Amino acid sequence: MPHEVMSKEAVADLRLPAAQPREHSSWRWGKSESLLMQTLQRLMRSKTAIFGLAIVSLLLVVSIFADALAPYSPTHNTPDETFQQPNRQHLLGTDQFGRDMLSRIIHGSRISLAVGLSSVLLAIFVGVPLGIVSGFYGGKVDTLVMRAMDLILAFPVFLLAIILMVMFTPTAGIIGTMKVVSAIAIVRIPIFARLVRGSVLSIKEKEYIEACRAVGQHDVKILFWHILPNCLAPIIVTATLGIATAIIVEASLSFLGLGTQPPTPSWGWDLKANVPWIQEHPWLALGPGVAIFITVLGFNLFGDGLRDALDPRLK
Amino acid sequence: MRRRELSFVGIVVLVSLLMSLSGFANAAESKRGGTLRVAYGNRISHLDFHTAPGYEMMWVAMNIGCGLVNITPDGQFVPDAAASWEGSPDGKTYTFKLRDNVLFHDNTKLDAEAVKISIDRLMDPETKSGMRRFYEPVDRVEVVDPLTVRVHMKKPYAFFLHMIAGYRTGLVLYSPTFLKKPDAIENMRRGEPGSVIGCGPFKFVEWVPGDHLVMDRWEKYFKEGQPYLDRVIVRVIKDPISQMAAFNAGEIDFIASFTPEHVNTLKAQNPKAQILTGKETTPMAALMKVTVPCDGKMMSEERCPHPIFGDQRVRKAVACYGMNRDEIVEIAFRGQATPWLGIIPPGTMDTVDVNHLCPYDPKRAKELLADAGYGPNNPLTFEIITDTEKAVFNAIATVIKEQMARIGVTANIKLVDKVTWLNQVLKDAPWDMDVEDRLSLLTLDSNAYLSVTDSSWNTSRHTDAKVDEYYARYAAEMDPEKRQAIAKEFQEFMADKLYWNTLSGSPFYQAAQPWMKGYTYNAEFEVHYETVWLDR
Amino acid sequence: MREYILKRLLQVIPTVLMITLVVFAMMQAIPGDPIVALLGDAYDEEDAIRLRREYGLDKPIVEQYAIWLGKLLRGDWGESYLSGRDVLDDVVLRLPITVELIILAMAVALIIALPAGIIAALRQNTWADYTAMTSALVGISIPDFFLGILLLLVFSFALQGLLPSSGWVYLPGTCPTVVCNESVWGNLQHVIMPAIALGVGRAAILTRLLRASMLEVIRMEYITTARAKGLVENLIIIKHALKNALIPTVTIMGLQVGFLIGGAIVVETLFAIPGLGTYGINAIITRDYQQVQGFILLVALCFVLVNFLVDLTYSFLDPRIRYGTQR
Repeated sequence: MPHEVMSKEAVADLRLPAAQPREHSSWRWGKSESLLMQTLQRLMRSKTAIFGLAIVSLLLVVSIFADALAPYSPTHNTPDETFQQPNRQHLLGTDQFGRDMLSRIIHGSRISLAVGLSSVLLAIFVGVPLGIVSGFYGGKVDTLVMRAMDLILAFPVFLLAIILMVMFTPTAGIIGTMKVVSAIAIVRIPIFARLVRGSVLSIKEKEYIEACRAVGQHDVKILFWHILPNCLAPIIVTATLGIATAIIVEASLSFLGLGTQPPTPSWGWDLKANVPWIQEHPWLALGPGVAIFITVLGFNLFGDGLRDALDPRLK
Repeated sequence: MRRRELSFVGIVVLVSLLMSLSGFANAAESKRGGTLRVAYGNRISHLDFHTAPGYEMMWVAMNIGCGLVNITPDGQFVPDAAASWEGSPDGKTYTFKLRDNVLFHDNTKLDAEAVKISIDRLMDPETKSGMRRFYEPVDRVEVVDPLTVRVHMKKPYAFFLHMIAGYRTGLVLYSPTFLKKPDAIENMRRGEPGSVIGCGPFKFVEWVPGDHLVMDRWEKYFKEGQPYLDRVIVRVIKDPISQMAAFNAGEIDFIASFTPEHVNTLKAQNPKAQILTGKETTPMAALMKVTVPCDGKMMSEERCPHPIFGDQRVRKAVACYGMNRDEIVEIAFRGQATPWLGIIPPGTMDTVDVNHLCPYDPKRAKELLADAGYGPNNPLTFEIITDTEKAVFNAIATVIKEQMARIGVTANIKLVDKVTWLNQVLKDAPWDMDVEDRLSLLTLDSNAYLSVTDSSWNTSRHTDAKVDEYYARYAAEMDPEKRQAIAKEFQEFMADKLYWNTLSGSPFYQAAQPWMKGYTYNAEFEVHYETVWLDR
Repeated sequence: MREYILKRLLQVIPTVLMITLVVFAMMQAIPGDPIVALLGDAYDEEDAIRLRREYGLDKPIVEQYAIWLGKLLRGDWGESYLSGRDVLDDVVLRLPITVELIILAMAVALIIALPAGIIAALRQNTWADYTAMTSALVGISIPDFFLGILLLLVFSFALQGLLPSSGWVYLPGTCPTVVCNESVWGNLQHVIMPAIALGVGRAAILTRLLRASMLEVIRMEYITTARAKGLVENLIIIKHALKNALIPTVTIMGLQVGFLIGGAIVVETLFAIPGLGTYGINAIITRDYQQVQGFILLVALCFVLVNFLVDLTYSFLDPRIRYGTQR
């Protein structure tokens, strides 16, 4: 894509904190400490951010301590307790196999959070270096990488995820989850690569970089000390919002039967499996659905608050 | 004055009475006209009846196409295009006298030559018909005269009539004139208007794959007065709740195959709906792989015992004593099926109840496993593969997993889509246990093509020639009593060897609106619309 | 300018072909054989071998792709393995349905976003603003299909079939088949829930964008002009703000098409709509390579073309491009 559409990206990403050079606040590790304090202060004042953070923290706690929190095992069938309405023993009722829905939802948080976090981390892990290398060295490397990114971006996100999952063949357990993580990560890599590349491009030509080079600083050092800090903010925000998207994509894949397979408890799968019973036992499908919604909302709120805190001018 | 009034009233009353009485008489008479709207749960694959897979295609083939004979629910043969027939006592010759007035939808007449051409076509490997195996006993077809056709068998075959009536589509006759046209079969497969020619009660109008198919009354159908309906529209609605919603809203008159798990809900929402079912004629099985290729290459000729289920003791421990069939039926089918061990389903001819041979006995199961070398120090772990075509498969696998845990065995479930599943089981891929329902069986003989040693569908890959022997004996035995004895022996044999592990019958339900009349329920075998009329 | 357009247009073709090649390769990498799906329960090993040869599936991948490409250049999009039908015919049959769904989803998005975004901008930091913004966040956080399920629960089931839960009724005059269910009202009934399910998420993003863009302008105007005196001044500012907001809005809408296509797959599956989405997913699952190629080709074409148009519109408005200077 030609360079001119840079600002279009800014529009498309809904005004991320500037991945562009600014006179007054070019971030460097040293200065960033006080900026960090400022950001944190702003964050604390933002109600949306706090609310989002609360939800996210709650989810993390639930998923880590799922074994202790869940009243029953999520995979244990109790044939004589099928399809119970929400009651004292089973706060969210039981499903077709007599499994406690509350326990399934608690354990399901593991998969959703794991997929959300891992896929974004993987995308960052691959995308950021790609973007840096591509932007810094330019030339053929740049063209090659950007062509590859364009290729991935040429697909509607979800469609590519579907094709990838069919290729990998959905399975259960850890391997199955890893496959989903990989599929989603692949689709998100270009976003981070592009982001970082843009940032790199804009800083590359600054004089002080030339100065560093003249003094003899290694490229790697330059990258690390000067360029990376500038991208940090947009990366963090994109990552947080990316987690939310990843969770929705995972749920959608499961809905089509292409995500993590049972009996691993997964919100997306439970949602899909219980839709046929929605007239008779609506809470079975609503439970996982609401869980997905709240999780995604939490990450979106937090990401939003983070973005505003990092660059309040744009509020 | 009063008397005149009274007599006037009397006459009015009398006339009304007479009118209402005739109204009653009329109520029993079938009304002509109307459109029947049917819902199928799966797509129709394509319209070349001789080669297309899937029940939905079959149910279309039975209405657009016609055969020689049909079969009633109680096993009697009734004429279709054949007016009468005769089988020789030795089972080697079958002679059919055709009706004189059967016309294909391209207005050409059905004659013995057409029958010969159709059967020859089915037997030709180049046609690649999945029904070719059913015609293996056939030696040749002889045209005696334009309306008489004689089929000669290689050896005595007791089930020829059953086969042409109800194995998959049964025999479907093709018009020779149509076959001679360029690209005839190509066009038929695609559903080009004017290219799907049969001799059945309905003629093809149009097909949109995955969405709907339309058939109209064939005015020159050979059965007088039928079909009553003007038109049949088949819609593909995959989801049971969508089917129910459409049914409850009156948009659908007939659901051709309805999932058992929701039958009670449908009844509750729609008390007047007619729910049609009968004894199950399809087996629900959890097959165990018995042999694997010695060299690891799939479909290799040389077989070695499967590391787990090659041992009969393990098979018995897991599938005979370790599985609680009652519980499986209770949870997965919500009680709507029959727990069953025999490979002949409860509703199929010559069925035998051998459930007593495998009572649920976890203790005995553990003993057998210990015998075979498994125990707390060497726990048994295996994988169940099943597919997503029906939700009940996964339900069954989940229950089995739980039951295995009770005897100290770990069963992992691998859930894949239908295509992947087909590839895995048909291509000899490594798997241990497979949960699926199989083809509906009109007779035990129709199962032969699924489980003799050299069949593509012998997915457990057993190599026991005794199985082939049983099938051959059964098919050649003309005496019904002796046949039953063979069947009983075979069932007991299978319950012991467990190459084929049935869990229960797979129930078949159909749902019809109260105004749909005249339909005869005959499980999956015969879904015919020519006797149907709409009472409204 | 013209040469820029030409240059970009020429880039479209190799991109699309690249996509089809990649998808072709990926399909081959999917374990499983379309012939197995084709024969289904009529499967027989001998038949399978014959069919594979007949369809050229035993040839090397590159050769198969070349054959496909050759046919494509002659206008032949291939035939489905399963049904033998022309892929182009089926795709053309289903395209209008998905297009209608997407357009209506966009319309729903606009209907929600325009008033919400404008009001939020005008009444910045009041309860109206917060409500709009929160609703927007909620809208983004609900997966399309879950919203669809909720709608079904309320309008199809709880309200006893007020709206149909599945199927399709064509707009008069658009039905391509002989037997048709055609009516405007019927069509509306069938498309409204899927359109809402699909459109709400987009509305959320649009609302936020509109609000932000308008705020930019409004703030600037307040800074540079004197305190607004009366309604007339306000209206001018609003109009100006709206105009300014419209451009990125159009841009975003174009970019959202990708999400809409993906979302359409899930929503069509949920509501059993015979559109391209259900066609595509069925093709992928049954490994019907020819259908998948046709489907991906069409989707890629649409997607790339829309991106191209968006690029064009944006560049058109960026004076640096218009006058041909590079940055």
